[in-house]
Amino acid sequence: MNLKRRQLLQALGAAAAASYAGAPAFAQNTPLRVGIIAPKAGIAGTIGECGLRGTEYAVARINAAGGIAGRKVELIVEEETNPKDSIERLRKLVLQDKVDCVQGIVSSGVSLAMGAVAEEMKALTIFWDGTTQDGVKETMVNPRYVFKSTDNECEAVMGSLLAVKHWKGKFKTVAGINPDYSYGRNNFAAFQALLKKFGVEHTVVADQWPKVGTTDLTSHVAALKAAKPDLVFSSLLFADLPIFMRTAHGAGLMDGGTKFVFPAAGFQHTALKKSFTPEGMIFGHNTLYFDYDKGTPQQKEFVKQYYDKYKDYPNWEADRAYFAMEVYKAGVEAAYKAKNAWPGKEDVINAIEGVKVQSLGGPGHMRKDHIAEQTFYQGITTHKNNYDFPTLGTVDIMYSDQLQKPTGMDFWQWIETATIKL
Amino acid sequence: MAFVDILLGGVFHAAVLFLVAAGLQLVFGVQKIVNLACGSFYALGAYFGISAVNWAIARGMPPGAFLPVLLVAGVALGVIGPAIEALLRTIYHRDEAFQLLLTFALVLMFQDVLRFFWGANPNQLGDLVMSYGKISAGAVTIPTYNVLVILASIAIAAGIGSFLKHTRFGRILRATAENREMSQALGVNVRWMYASVFTLGTVLGTVGGALVVPTAAATLDMPVELVVEAFAVVVIGGLGSMRGALAGALVVGLMRALSIRYYAELEMLAIYLVVIVILIARPAGLFGKAVE
Repeated sequence: MNLKRRQLLQALGAAAAASYAGAPAFAQNTPLRVGIIAPKAGIAGTIGECGLRGTEYAVARINAAGGIAGRKVELIVEEETNPKDSIERLRKLVLQDKVDCVQGIVSSGVSLAMGAVAEEMKALTIFWDGTTQDGVKETMVNPRYVFKSTDNECEAVMGSLLAVKHWKGKFKTVAGINPDYSYGRNNFAAFQALLKKFGVEHTVVADQWPKVGTTDLTSHVAALKAAKPDLVFSSLLFADLPIFMRTAHGAGLMDGGTKFVFPAAGFQHTALKKSFTPEGMIFGHNTLYFDYDKGTPQQKEFVKQYYDKYKDYPNWEADRAYFAMEVYKAGVEAAYKAKNAWPGKEDVINAIEGVKVQSLGGPGHMRKDHIAEQTFYQGITTHKNNYDFPTLGTVDIMYSDQLQKPTGMDFWQWIETATIKL
Repeated sequence: MAFVDILLGGVFHAAVLFLVAAGLQLVFGVQKIVNLACGSFYALGAYFGISAVNWAIARGMPPGAFLPVLLVAGVALGVIGPAIEALLRTIYHRDEAFQLLLTFALVLMFQDVLRFFWGANPNQLGDLVMSYGKISAGAVTIPTYNVLVILASIAIAAGIGSFLKHTRFGRILRATAENREMSQALGVNVRWMYASVFTLGTVLGTVGGALVVPTAAATLDMPVELVVEAFAVVVIGGLGSMRGALAGALVVGLMRALSIRYYAELEMLAIYLVVIVILIARPAGLFGKAVE
């Protein structure tokens, strides 16, 4: 009896060893599982939806070409809501669904909280958007498992630089209307700091801070109009910007010679109709300007497919999502090539550090400190197009190494000391 | 002239608030129920108004004719009034806390109803409001549609006032509000009266939402946001008083406009400072009746 039991145990052990030995080969035949956490509802719902479409486009292309290092990609999508619930979904993706990588996140409030948890769980995570900054101070200087997007302030820095480039000497009084959270406040402060850096003497005559989701901005616009600014800087976004634009146009704020800078206009560009959005404003399209005539064939194909499928034009979140997937793909494939075997998580992370990719909007790379560098697009609006909303008449392009602080540096000190070309 | 712009901004916001608060006041005045769901009716009107206008435009309606469509859409939503009143009927004799809990539950349920039918993203009517143009006088400019919203609020306030004062139904309604048992003893069908009043309150909210949405956006958060401000309106004006709703809305709208102009960060503080002063100095509100 004992002998039989020993034989049975030996047989089981041999079977287990055989299956373990075959594990890597088995793993290579199963799909790579990528967990996506993106907003589907609320003020950021349309943004999350656009990002998800960018991911789906990237995955369709990757799978059609044979997958990542021969493995197809499978998506598991969860909803980004508040930090607490979104972190629970991260845990579910990592512990239950056992995903190989987590991507997504639009809100900085969520990414700031989730970054530390992902790091603790050793979950390879690539954020589309948001940061792990507390204000403009980086809270995760040297993460191992978390890869972050470009700093939120990039678009404000670029918008400010374009205001100086195009309008220096043409304005003396400025006003701000920005969302009442750290993003809006940092953006307006960065704008003023850059005016100071480039010797633009100015006076702030009004600063308005409507909370996100305010549906009646009539009084805010009246206050701006009363202050008679030469230039209005506004990083309003989501549905708030079309409401502001409509209200400001209706109240005559745009009838005079006031100049406008909207660094985040591209998030809702198709909702800013020509009938209430004049020409000559600075609009930011962040890392994807859908109508760029010198855009890559990939961008043009994506925009066409996007329109054919959704009857809409994509915003930059699609590019952020596409970039995250391309960074992961490039990292896995580089690690696979170096090892000549299926790489582990640590190998992939090492390979992602410094990796260069071609995103929809243009070239980008992942810095060694796990912060993305990408190509940014802004310019001055025109009505000379076939759409019912303005596009860019002149397009300015900057790489984000000109728009965000280097590793470990204080943001305000960087603005003071950086050599920035206009 | 800048001051006129600021005042007009305040009056416009007051008009919006009045449309939300009017239904709340009417229902409380007669049925003694604080209906938190008034903000949900407003949001429902906004969403349904957008759908109705898009539907009509797709069938060839000229864009400039959207106003009547919005009004019809708002009035048509009155059909939900009797059904919700039938639900509330079960708690008329319960403690106020039960009533608040039930109407708050309705707010949360409506949020999911709106999400189910219209999705989670903000809905807007594009640039339709531009088809009405602007009115300019010197340096003062205001969209014509905003003037129409202000006029509609004034007309609704005057219409309800006149209806309550000069019609037979209005007199019976006021009598029922004063003394339900006596009205019943005199042959008033109180059940029918309550259903009618609640439906009228619902229509005030839905028409309000439908009217205002071309200038704004329909969002899932708007019911709670509006109810918070509507409460300031009813506390200042006096719970249950239509004149109070008008006065309270004007106070809140103008306080908000002035604080946004001069101390933008004190917007809510300024409004609720007035609320606290009223609660201490005149707890029944400017036009409310003191409880004996």
